[in-house]
Amino acid sequence: MTASSLIARKQELPLKDDATGLFLKIMISIAVFLFAVTLAGVLAINSMLTNWNNSILGSLTVQIMPVNNINQEQAREETLSHQEKTLEFLKKLPQVESATALSDNQLQMLLQPWLGDGVSVEELPTPRLIDVRLKKDAEIDFPKLAEQLAEVSPLASLDNHKLWLNKLIRFADGLKMLAMSILLLVIAITSGAIFYTTQTNLGLHRNIIEILHIMGAKDTYVAQQYAHRDFGIGFIGGLIGLCFAVPTIFMIAGLAEQIEGGIISDARLSFASWLLICSLPLFSAFISMITAYYTVKRTLEKMM
Amino acid sequence: MLRDSVINAPAVVEMKGVGIRYDQGPEILSDINLSLKKGSFHFLTGKSGAGKTSLLSLMYLAQRPSRGALGVFGQNVNFANREALAVLRRRIGVVFQDFRLIEHLSAFDNVALPLRVCGMSEKEIKKRVKELLSWVELDKHMFEKTSTLSGGEKQRIAIARAVINRPDILLADEPTGNVDNDIARKLMKLFIELNKLGTTVVIATHSDKLITDFPYPRLHLVNGGLRVFQPFEGIVKGVGI
Repeated sequence: MTASSLIARKQELPLKDDATGLFLKIMISIAVFLFAVTLAGVLAINSMLTNWNNSILGSLTVQIMPVNNINQEQAREETLSHQEKTLEFLKKLPQVESATALSDNQLQMLLQPWLGDGVSVEELPTPRLIDVRLKKDAEIDFPKLAEQLAEVSPLASLDNHKLWLNKLIRFADGLKMLAMSILLLVIAITSGAIFYTTQTNLGLHRNIIEILHIMGAKDTYVAQQYAHRDFGIGFIGGLIGLCFAVPTIFMIAGLAEQIEGGIISDARLSFASWLLICSLPLFSAFISMITAYYTVKRTLEKMM
Repeated sequence: MLRDSVINAPAVVEMKGVGIRYDQGPEILSDINLSLKKGSFHFLTGKSGAGKTSLLSLMYLAQRPSRGALGVFGQNVNFANREALAVLRRRIGVVFQDFRLIEHLSAFDNVALPLRVCGMSEKEIKKRVKELLSWVELDKHMFEKTSTLSGGEKQRIAIARAVINRPDILLADEPTGNVDNDIARKLMKLFIELNKLGTTVVIATHSDKLITDFPYPRLHLVNGGLRVFQPFEGIVKGVGI
């Protein structure tokens, strides 16, 4: 059965301007609003998770602990020599795209949120960091690499970001599942509302439906009349909901960008995501049409 | 009197031991045995509440009998499925006492409805509906909503709707009740013309004048049962209408 066979070519029942139609339109606009905002959330979380996963897969950090020595100058030189040895070792690895030691300035910027301005990295026994970018699809045996690093320098240790990012990913995954459940609930509630309003409407127009029935109208014919009406209601209701949802999504995105730390800024909606959100009125129209069609068919089957 | 062609014709409606009751109430009609031949013309009479509308509703397939067998166009209605019943209904035209027009639609759209239900092309619908509305002298009101029309005009629209697809059976409940004598005669002429073309006609009426003016046999309901009278029979004998 095609979608076009679910819809009437001409509206013969007085279904357009009654109270159930208005209720349905309001109901669908609210549902589409909630759906669009939640869907935007799911898509944003998805893009954030993809970015985080890429960062886990594509990079790692090697930390060189500072040498303990009363002579600060000597300790710094020894630490830097460990860093140099480690750097050379890392650059020779076939899986490594690039390995860069963080400069004093970069380290200072990293420490700034905790220690404030005016702190010199040179005067503090701070660890040195090497940022390692891996080649695409590179496979690394992390425990083995940690062992090799320990041989090169006992001060070197490996951080593949997995530990702390895994917790965030689990949290984001949980949020995503919650949002998906809300999406399913919105679909179920909307379909339920269409089901009951269509049944009420059938009751209101029972006399007309009986006339059509007596004339030999098949159930499909009457169902198509309702499908025709509900497709229009679903589409207009969906458009109204979308008109409210789009500014809301922009507002939430604006608030999220103000959060420092760059975590949320990974959550961006792609062109495809916007296309999906903007196509929601079509989805609501189709769901309305299909629900109305089958509700009417089932109700009519109880008549002779 | 029945024409020979009718006597030998197949039955379009057949009832054997039919009874009707609503919920757990008493039977409105009991043990009805009836055979309506193709091309026959009958009046249906009986006092108010005698079951005329119930008997008609069995014939236009709005309900199944509570007991007994009902056959329409040779099909046993008791066992026919929904699709088959819908196809049978398209061959039956019904004029209701309360017209049952769709008020928000124009006269044209009301009359066009049975044709649209059958999926006829709009071009053909336009041609047929205009012709018929002109015949029942309602062409001037063609595009007016039926809610704005008088009782007599509504009745003519209801009749036009019942006959637009040239039904094999025409069932009319008091079709001349709201029109003056001239229009009543014209409508009866329409029914007779349809009958001559092969349509089986049953007209429920309280009108003595109609029954005496038009000599057709009469199905009379009394005490839940059915008796068949030949033209003028019963009235003279005082059975009463």
